[in-house]
Amino acid sequence: MGVSITGLGIVSAIGLTVEENLASLLAGTSGIGHCGTLEGYEGYLVGEVKQSNEALTAHLAQSTRILSRTSLLGIAAAKQAWGNSPASKELRTGLISATSVGGMDLTEKFYKSYLKGQSPDFSILSRHDSGNTTEEIAKEIGINGYVNTLSTACSSGANAIMLGARLIEQGKLDRVLVGGSDPLTSFTINGFKSLMIYDEQWCRPFDESRAGLNLGEGAAFLLLESEKSRQVSGNTALCQLKGWANAADAYHQTASSPDGKGATMAIQNALKKSGLNKNQIAYINAHGTGTKNNDLSESTALTNIFGTEVPPFSSTKSFTGHTLAAAGAIEAVYAVLAIQHGLLFPNLNFQNTIAETSLIPILKLTSNHRIGAVLSNSFGFGGNNSTLVFSEND
Amino acid sequence: MYSISAITSISHQQSFQNEGFTEGMLELNDSHTLITPDFKQFIDASLLRRMSKVLRMSVACAKHCMELAKLEQPDAIIVGTGLGCLVDTEKFLNNGISLAGLLPPTAFIQSTHNTIAGQISLSIGNHGYNMTHTQNVVSFEHAMLDAMLLLGEGSGQVLVGAADETIPFLEEVAAELIPDCGSKLTSGSTFLILKNLSDLPGIVLVAVEIYTNYQSKWEVIKTFLLGNGLDLTDIEVVATAQNLESENLELLQSGVESISYLNFTGVYATASALGFHILVDKLIANPKPRYALLINDVAEAHLGLTLLKKREA
Repeated sequence: MGVSITGLGIVSAIGLTVEENLASLLAGTSGIGHCGTLEGYEGYLVGEVKQSNEALTAHLAQSTRILSRTSLLGIAAAKQAWGNSPASKELRTGLISATSVGGMDLTEKFYKSYLKGQSPDFSILSRHDSGNTTEEIAKEIGINGYVNTLSTACSSGANAIMLGARLIEQGKLDRVLVGGSDPLTSFTINGFKSLMIYDEQWCRPFDESRAGLNLGEGAAFLLLESEKSRQVSGNTALCQLKGWANAADAYHQTASSPDGKGATMAIQNALKKSGLNKNQIAYINAHGTGTKNNDLSESTALTNIFGTEVPPFSSTKSFTGHTLAAAGAIEAVYAVLAIQHGLLFPNLNFQNTIAETSLIPILKLTSNHRIGAVLSNSFGFGGNNSTLVFSEND
Repeated sequence: MYSISAITSISHQQSFQNEGFTEGMLELNDSHTLITPDFKQFIDASLLRRMSKVLRMSVACAKHCMELAKLEQPDAIIVGTGLGCLVDTEKFLNNGISLAGLLPPTAFIQSTHNTIAGQISLSIGNHGYNMTHTQNVVSFEHAMLDAMLLLGEGSGQVLVGAADETIPFLEEVAAELIPDCGSKLTSGSTFLILKNLSDLPGIVLVAVEIYTNYQSKWEVIKTFLLGNGLDLTDIEVVATAQNLESENLELLQSGVESISYLNFTGVYATASALGFHILVDKLIANPKPRYALLINDVAEAHLGLTLLKKREA
């Protein structure tokens, strides 16, 4: 059974809509800049969504609720992807969201005030758990069937897309809104800083001089539909989700293995599932965080699979920053845009190849290409490796 | 339908390495503590030192399950957790606010929800599908649904389970948010090996369903049973989060054995996983019952239903 992608929604550092994101990708404009919203982090380079919680809340049906930024970003993206899809009793509809921090943006404010001995409002903590961030998105869209949250660190968004596709393929759901959302938090900036992989300069994925990532925030959702669902909804297929796989690296809690074992397995199994030949992949949207370890391990995995003929690849994290659980979903939207518009997106800030692998990413935007299929990687802590394969409509 | 080839839990009951534990189950009181095994038997001492409670409990349960099932590697590892690795999350949050300069990274590394499934994969060198579901009080049921989906796709044996840990701060939160919580907040971990139905006698998982935004709980339950060709009178053991005695006279009159599982599990987001283990154990230990139903009705917003049956020789 085929899985069609019929709707896209995105809010990221490079735009609040699909169109704005596309325009920034075309112009080569990064959304990474100095932090403006988190107190005490002014010098950090981050990919912020240029919209306040107040502005995001104003769009809600119930604008009096206090929601985590995770839910607010998620709702903005989910609404776009859902579009005018009709309610339907005959379709089984689901929502799967991914987040790594849940409502931590609110919790950390609460906790700071709690530690100071002030008496903060405990009800804020009912927004902490990751499941709640998804339930709030579901309420706003009006989905009350299968509602679930995945949390596998930086591969979460890709895993949400994969789970949705599997539920459709096995006939458990007819349509499912899948994606992920993560806001910037002190917790995650402190975290990557403690690991000494937060670059104080612009992140430089796949460059020999790369020194770490810049965090970003955002959310993206995709509407996946079966053939039956499309007949009812009347939605047009933008492209197809053909392949998916998840594999464990089982090497280290945070570092990727030097031989890229988990990543290689994920890519290989996703290609196999897609039924496509590896030479049909016209573009790879890499995980490419800009850390020494990831980019080398990922390059090795790409070479393991593609040998000397690695397809054109880039990391769009140089535009958005690393958006953690949203990354897989944001990059899935870019994969669909690449197919729809025949584009190869550039990898910003690249100068010199990694000595061990000598792979050169896409340096300039290329248009008017026929992009038949795109492969997208997302790798997370815990050695969690996921790959998705998208293709043009049959 | 699916076969359960091993199951174990770390809880306030003697539920670890101990089939038939439900015979001697005691309701929790204030002096009750978690009954933990000697973790060194399951986890390398150098790794153990850094592991929080939820990680130790989960890795030990996972490894014991594999011993029980004589399984070298599962095809997948799937974990449900409501609140994830709270000990490390709180520690890193605290450090970030109270310490200056570069922070120690270990608590951050171990704060993500998927540290549980990740540490299991690392401990046993597993390269299969590795997933973490976190949907409030139905996280265990979501993990089970994913395991069933995988078996439908051709996986052989799936290690699936759930774990949550409590921290003292949570007591304070609960006192503010759910003042009539009643039962004791605690931690727990349950893991099992699920595979496609085999001909061997044993305990069979028939179905799992999750409902949100439903009208009448008992109507949903009847429809769920009907969908599996059963009605309430077929159920011989039932475990519920709410007290059945104040709820369903019809079921009680049919002579069902009812268990208010929170009295034995204590309260944590994935307590229904231990409720599941209690039912499996009851079905194994007692000659009579054939069908058991787990009703996870701990929160009004979610309803998880799980149907188990005993397959005779």
